[in-house]
Amino acid sequence: MLKKRMIGAAVAAVATFCTMVPDAVAQQRQRFEYWYGLTGQLGEVMADHCRRFNESQTRFEAVCVGQGGYDRAEQNTIAAYRARQHPTVVQIYDAGTVNFMLSGVTYNAVNFARDFNMRINWSDYFPGVASYYATSRGEMWSFPYNSSTAMLYWNRQAFASIGRTAAPATWQELERDMRALKAAGHACPMAIDFDAWQFEQLSAIHNQPIATRDNGYGGLNAELLINRGFLPMHITNMRRWLDEGLMRIQTAQTGKTIVQAFADSSCALAITSIANHGVVSATQSEGMQWGVAMLPVYEGTSRTNSLVGGASLWVLQGKSRGEYEGAAAFLDWIATPAEVQWMPTVTGYIPITTPAFQQMMAGGFYNQARYAGREISIQSLTFTPPTANSRGIRLGNYTSIRSEIQSELQAAFTGQKSVQQALDDATARGNQILRRFEQTMRGRELP
Amino acid sequence: MVERTPLLNVLTHAILVVGLLMLMLPLWIVFVASTHDFRTVNTVPMPLWPGAHMVENYVTTWNQSQFGPKMLNSLIMAVGVTTGKIVLAALSAYSIVYFRYRLRMVFFWLIFITLMLPLEVRIVPTYAVAANALRPFQEIINLLGLSALTDLLFGVRIVLPEAQLLNSYAGLILPLIATATGTFLYRQFFLTVPEELLEAAKMDGTGPLRFFWDILLPLSKANMAALATIMFVYSWNQYLWPLLVVTDPAYGTAVMQLQRIVPGPLFGEPPRWHVAMAGTLMVMLPPLLVVVFMQRWFVRGLINQDK
Amino acid sequence: MSGKRVTFDRHWLALLLILPQMLLVFVFFYWPTGEALFWAFTLEPPFGGDMQWVGWQNFLTVMEDPLYWNSVQRSVVFALSSTAIAMGIGMLLALFVDRELPGYRGFRFVFFWPYAVAAPAVGLAFRFIFAPDAGFVSAINQWFPGLWNPALDGVDAMILITLANAWSMVAYNFIFFLAGLQSIPRSLVEAGAMDGSGVLRRMRDIQLPLIAPTVFFLIVINITDSFVNSFGIVDITTGGGPARATDLMVFKIYSDGFKGKDYSLAAAQSIILMGLVVVLTFFQFKYVERRVHYT
Repeated sequence: MLKKRMIGAAVAAVATFCTMVPDAVAQQRQRFEYWYGLTGQLGEVMADHCRRFNESQTRFEAVCVGQGGYDRAEQNTIAAYRARQHPTVVQIYDAGTVNFMLSGVTYNAVNFARDFNMRINWSDYFPGVASYYATSRGEMWSFPYNSSTAMLYWNRQAFASIGRTAAPATWQELERDMRALKAAGHACPMAIDFDAWQFEQLSAIHNQPIATRDNGYGGLNAELLINRGFLPMHITNMRRWLDEGLMRIQTAQTGKTIVQAFADSSCALAITSIANHGVVSATQSEGMQWGVAMLPVYEGTSRTNSLVGGASLWVLQGKSRGEYEGAAAFLDWIATPAEVQWMPTVTGYIPITTPAFQQMMAGGFYNQARYAGREISIQSLTFTPPTANSRGIRLGNYTSIRSEIQSELQAAFTGQKSVQQALDDATARGNQILRRFEQTMRGRELP
Repeated sequence: MVERTPLLNVLTHAILVVGLLMLMLPLWIVFVASTHDFRTVNTVPMPLWPGAHMVENYVTTWNQSQFGPKMLNSLIMAVGVTTGKIVLAALSAYSIVYFRYRLRMVFFWLIFITLMLPLEVRIVPTYAVAANALRPFQEIINLLGLSALTDLLFGVRIVLPEAQLLNSYAGLILPLIATATGTFLYRQFFLTVPEELLEAAKMDGTGPLRFFWDILLPLSKANMAALATIMFVYSWNQYLWPLLVVTDPAYGTAVMQLQRIVPGPLFGEPPRWHVAMAGTLMVMLPPLLVVVFMQRWFVRGLINQDK
Repeated sequence: MSGKRVTFDRHWLALLLILPQMLLVFVFFYWPTGEALFWAFTLEPPFGGDMQWVGWQNFLTVMEDPLYWNSVQRSVVFALSSTAIAMGIGMLLALFVDRELPGYRGFRFVFFWPYAVAAPAVGLAFRFIFAPDAGFVSAINQWFPGLWNPALDGVDAMILITLANAWSMVAYNFIFFLAGLQSIPRSLVEAGAMDGSGVLRRMRDIQLPLIAPTVFFLIVINITDSFVNSFGIVDITTGGGPARATDLMVFKIYSDGFKGKDYSLAAAQSIILMGLVVVLTFFQFKYVERRVHYT
């Protein structure tokens, strides 16, 4: 065993030496660690972005490590922080915002930008994006990075077959279109899944709260409101449409997700993130004509802005000044208009600052067939200034709550419970989770 | 075997063939998925026969993910864990079975209980320990007041050096050795060894170490081979612990790399199966080779010790 | 508990022999586990910092939750059925390979493979094969529409994870059964043949009793493993659904602790899980090992 270890160590040493020599110049750079959560193709984009930063300057080196998922990124950061081995910058998804805000270990964005003379202009960010990652007083604590919002994907050819050239703007129109599609022989007018995100989005655009205290912004003693008013009505409709065969459940477990079902033309409609725009382009069936539209609202409702999804970058305390300077340079760099524009070209994520978006519009980016329609996502996000119900969601342990909602919806959609019962149960369990969270965070205040 | 039983032979073959199909079907699918391109592999249902993109996929995956160095790391880790496990477990089981002392069963259960708590549960504090492996001892020394004592007597506190195991082979290997499968297996086996052997050895004046080395270990070859195979595969396929303890890509393992290729369900993106499955097969190859190599130890005749 | 009649006396040597493993187990298991289990009695914020002592509150929260008992029941059913299938098939295959009919080497060679495949890959393959829209099993749905749907039917989902888990464990069991069978001296089996026992009778009367220690080992390992290590399979195939039909205890611990960052709740559940497995194992040692003859 000793011999094998020695050989192993020797090989490792030689390998390290071989990589060290060309890095001799790099060694002089100030290094800092950045952990990101995206995987797969999007993960490669993250790594690429990092690499380009390193190539664009010689003073700093970002060491970027993929964590294999948003959950893992959050978990690994927590574990690392407890052992004081954490990175300087970490990419955390929207649902993790509350944990980080209350953690007391973050170097808040406003302070960080001020302390390290960053060039960031906070007012450049779209209000819908900024409000998600800002305190109730409007101070931003993390740097938005990859943002998306929910859109309605529609198959133009299918709609042409029923004589329509525009996507439905209201749910009433949508129902009518689904019936027409079904009558015209389309087996699956719309693909649906159990993801709770779509209901957050729909509540937001109808200016309906999903929790008290302004969806949680007002304090940790918020309670869920999903079993009252808008959502029970809408989900009962969905259940009815499902039973009539107008909607079909598509999940990874059935074999195809809603994105795949839409992309291969088997279903004509789907509600999913704009981030999937690129995915659909890459995997669409031959010659498929499709587009995106804003989420439908119920007739008689005035539309409000939709919510942002995705992730933001957090800076953590306890690192050296040199590392912070590197992080500041990196965060500045990704906020420059050129870089903000780069992200949407290689992914479906949207440009998060107004100047960048305007440059892209002026440059004809959205006139290209590949990107056509994506600007509608910005329209959706900025339709109105954020209201109390469309600012975002600030509920503790939100991943667990989403999971409860999902389980209950599965029960409702498979006929085990009525929709109202399912939502009541989800609310009760969700509130339990919120109270536990509140108790755990006793003594801490939501900023 | 000695007799002719044609009907039973046919039945035997039939059962074995059915078993073969059941066990191989998933692997076949993995292989087929790795030979198509992105579009084909995502059509539903996927074709059952291999496509034409095999070489292309494998080369792309190998280069993109730098599987070479990662495989080496996996190898070092797996060999380290396997060797460590085989040696330590044999020693511990020997101690428990062949010596009679009061703490014997306590130790056995202490070791055995390590099987009963999932790694996921204790992963956060285990990481903290890996960041400084001597911290538990430091805490105990502090708790027992030993540090204060030496401070009083000699003016110096006992401060253990920091043993940082993150981003190292030790960090990958050591925590994985600390589980009970091997000890339990050896215990089972040692209990089957006839008492007469030990009686005879004692009468010859053989000491415990000699008995262990000359008599017991050679008898255990089949079990050791089985254990080695299992441990190699087990440690090779670890992904949760290495992902946490290693952030420096230089120490990344092959399975960690595989995790990065398969995107999570959160993004709605169809997995790039052709690449992910190609990676899966490549990563599967070394443990497979080990398993193949170990087979000869299962051949009757090598272990023809008539007891 | 079983033990040797004849033993050595040098206690200090015994302690020395067991010291390395005990050290490792202490540092890398008991110390971190102690900390993790301590959290079961407090409310631990994810990043640390001030936590509060709440005594048994977490345990009460867990035990009063009807969904928790749902996951206990699912886990027990899963453990028993998956173990039975995996051990039964593993034993069968090992017995028949051990007969060494022509071509046995090929089978032996191939039966080892499934164990080499990592859990995420197994899960992916099984999800793919059994998916109602896409998979090959979905052909059944052509003839009997709606018969097989693990995405929407809880029982089908349980079948799926049981089969996926059993698939990996069959190879594991096969390896150990074969090793056990191969260390039975040929002379014993031949003696039985000469006495006139047929193949099947020899299997039942000679081979099986002689590999009883292996059988016991595998029962304990299979059951423990299906309680403790089943997370990967569930995560990739069914995600605990539909509607919590496959929400095994360890998956629930992971969802609450790892995803939900509620370490205290996860710790309380872990203690209960550990307690359950310890009790189960204890019973196996007490009542099953009794029937195992070692020499």
